[in-house]
Amino acid sequence: MQWVLTALGATLAAGVEFLEALAIVLAVGASRRWRDALLGTGAAVVACAAIAVIVGPALLAQASGNALRVIVGVLLLLFGLEWLRKGVLRLAGRRARSSSAAEYDETRAELAGDPLPPPGQPDWAARIVAFKGVLLEGIEVVLIVSALAARPGGLGPALAGTALACVLVVGLGAWLRRPLSRLPETELKFGVGVVLTSFGTFFCAEGLGVDWPGGDLALLYVAVVVAGVAALQVASLARPVPKVKA
Amino acid sequence: MSVLRELRKLVLGETWVLPLGVAALLAAALVLRVVAPDLWEDLGGLLLLGGVVGLLAVATRLPAKRG
Repeated sequence: MQWVLTALGATLAAGVEFLEALAIVLAVGASRRWRDALLGTGAAVVACAAIAVIVGPALLAQASGNALRVIVGVLLLLFGLEWLRKGVLRLAGRRARSSSAAEYDETRAELAGDPLPPPGQPDWAARIVAFKGVLLEGIEVVLIVSALAARPGGLGPALAGTALACVLVVGLGAWLRRPLSRLPETELKFGVGVVLTSFGTFFCAEGLGVDWPGGDLALLYVAVVVAGVAALQVASLARPVPKVKA
Repeated sequence: MSVLRELRKLVLGETWVLPLGVAALLAAALVLRVVAPDLWEDLGGLLLLGGVVGLLAVATRLPAKRG
């Protein structure tokens, strides 16, 4: 049960972050040069890999057993509750929906003001935009996946889920060469918030000595309660859609 | 500096309510574990779950502003 949920959480969390990073890289490549976009992306991937190599072992070395569960739980609660808060506000119409297509347009507009250097000269504006965009999304992936992987038995499903998300998103991006605008990103992020919050609550309590009724199955009813309360929040905060006259 | 600001936002979120709320929940859990260890062991998970969904309800109703 935990294997499947950990892999699912990693796939969803990494997938939506990869979507956002992909939109930025595609915008840079399409509006400038692909070489500079890929160089900026490559540098960010190397930086993220270096952070992953430092964060993962550091997390494991600093704490063990119950202390590690509490640290992982708190990290997942911080990420999960923030994703869920934004998801509730977006689904209730109190915040703009999440859209990689909008990010794509914003990045193109950001670069439009910088003149393109002559051929053969490095386009630093494009490289920096690609680097910064991929780095920030990548760090979030590293932190979430490290937290999911840090608990005993979590490394395999967390890495498998991340690899699956990477293959799916990068493959689709390379094929389509444009952001995936039809995906329900807001709903996906809401789902990630539910999964991360549920894991965070479960690990925190376990680390503090709680004996969950039902053992690992508790993850399921915790997720149902979190999703249910979040859905009620959406319903109570929802703004009525204004009627448009025909 | 903007990258550092983004990193802080990335880990702690856009509002102080969630990190402070999670810290308060953790502190309350630690106190309850010492004061009523049997109750905590049996019902601590459900109490923490209640606190988490309560925190979510509060966080969605407060404006997201931080210094």
